[in-house]
Amino acid sequence: MGRIVGALGMSHIMFPPTGIEEQAERILSHMLEIRRRLHAMRPDLIVLAGADHLNTFTLAMQVTLAIGVSDRFTTLGDGGVPVREFAGHRAFAEGFARFASRRGFELVQAEEVRPDHGTAFPKLVLDPDNAIPTVPLFINAAMPVPPQPSRCLALGEALAAYVATERPADERVAVVGTGGLSHWLRLPDEGRIAEDFDRAVIAALVAGEAPRLAQMDSDAIIEAAGNGGLEVIAWLFAAGALPGARGEAIYYEPVPAWITGMGAVELFAETAAAGKGD
Amino acid sequence: MTRAVAPYRVHRLIQDLMRDPGAAAAFRVDPASTFAGYGMSGTECALLRQGTLAAMTELGVHPNLQMKYLRLAAPAPDAKALAAPGPLDAYLPRLLEL
Repeated sequence: MGRIVGALGMSHIMFPPTGIEEQAERILSHMLEIRRRLHAMRPDLIVLAGADHLNTFTLAMQVTLAIGVSDRFTTLGDGGVPVREFAGHRAFAEGFARFASRRGFELVQAEEVRPDHGTAFPKLVLDPDNAIPTVPLFINAAMPVPPQPSRCLALGEALAAYVATERPADERVAVVGTGGLSHWLRLPDEGRIAEDFDRAVIAALVAGEAPRLAQMDSDAIIEAAGNGGLEVIAWLFAAGALPGARGEAIYYEPVPAWITGMGAVELFAETAAAGKGD
Repeated sequence: MTRAVAPYRVHRLIQDLMRDPGAAAAFRVDPASTFAGYGMSGTECALLRQGTLAAMTELGVHPNLQMKYLRLAAPAPDAKALAAPGPLDAYLPRLLEL
C-alpha cells in the first residue's frame, strides 16, 4: 500500500512587493518554508488541488471536479508565473478517477489542460526543478455551482483510500490544497479581509477539525470569506486525505495591499486516524 | 443577497475575446462593432464602456471575467509597459533557485 505522507494548505499567488516590501519578503520566506516542509515529506508524487480561474474551464463548459490525467502539463503563464512543463502521472490519475467513481465521485478526466496560477504558482514553490510528478486536481471555486465543502473533504478521504488500497507499496504521496484565504474579488466588498474567518479555518484544520469546517455550506463560506475565500475547499480536500490529522500553522498574514488573507498549514501524517480512509 | 447575472452573450463576448487575439485587437480599436456583433443593448454597451466595479456589478458580469474584460479593454501595452517587471519578478530568482 502507498502512503499519504503529509498534507499542506497554501495560498496560491503573490503580487508585487511595492509598498509592502517587508511583508512581501516575509511571505516569500514562508513560501520557501512550505517548500522545505514538502521536501521533508520525501514524496514520490504530489496531488495538487486548486481552482482554475476560468481559463481552462469556462462558463461555456462548467466543470465541478476534474483530474489532470496527462503525462505532461504546460502551465498557462498567467499571474507572472513562467510557462513551464511538468510531469503528471497518468496511471495514478486514471486509477483514482476509476476508484473515485466507486465512491460516488465521477471526476472529469482532463487530458488537454493548461494549469493556471492556481496550480502553477504552488508547483513552482513546492518543486522548482519539476522533479516530482504532480497530478493536478481541479476543484471549481469560481463558477456558479461549486462542490460543497463536505464533498471536497470526502473526495480527499477517497484519495486516502485509493492510495492505501490500490497504489504500489511504499509509494509516498503528498497532498496539497491551494487558494484563499479570504478575499472579495470584483465585488462591492472588494478589499475586505475576513481575518477572524481565516484564523478560524487555520485553527480548525490544525486541530483536526476539518469535518466540522466542512459542514459549512459553500454559500456560507462565500458570505464569510468572499468569492475568493471559497478556494479553501481545496484545503479541505487535502485535509480529507489525512483523516483526523492534526498539524501546524505555517503562517497567516492579512495583506490589504493584495486584498487577501495569505496563509498556509501543514497536517502531519503520523497524527491521522489509522485506516479511517480505507 | 441576490446579485444580477449578466446575459450569457456578455460572458460569451469576453470568453471569445480571450481565445482570439485578432478579435481582441479589433475590439480595442472599435468596441462598438464588437458590442453590436453580440447584440448588446445601449445600456449594456454603456455599462461595459464604463467598466467600473459598480457598472460591472449592475450588469452582473462574473467577477473573474470582469478582470479579463478590463485587461482586454485596456490599451495595448507600449514598449515601456512591456519592459516593466512582471508581478512575480521580485521573487522569481529565489523561487527558481533549487
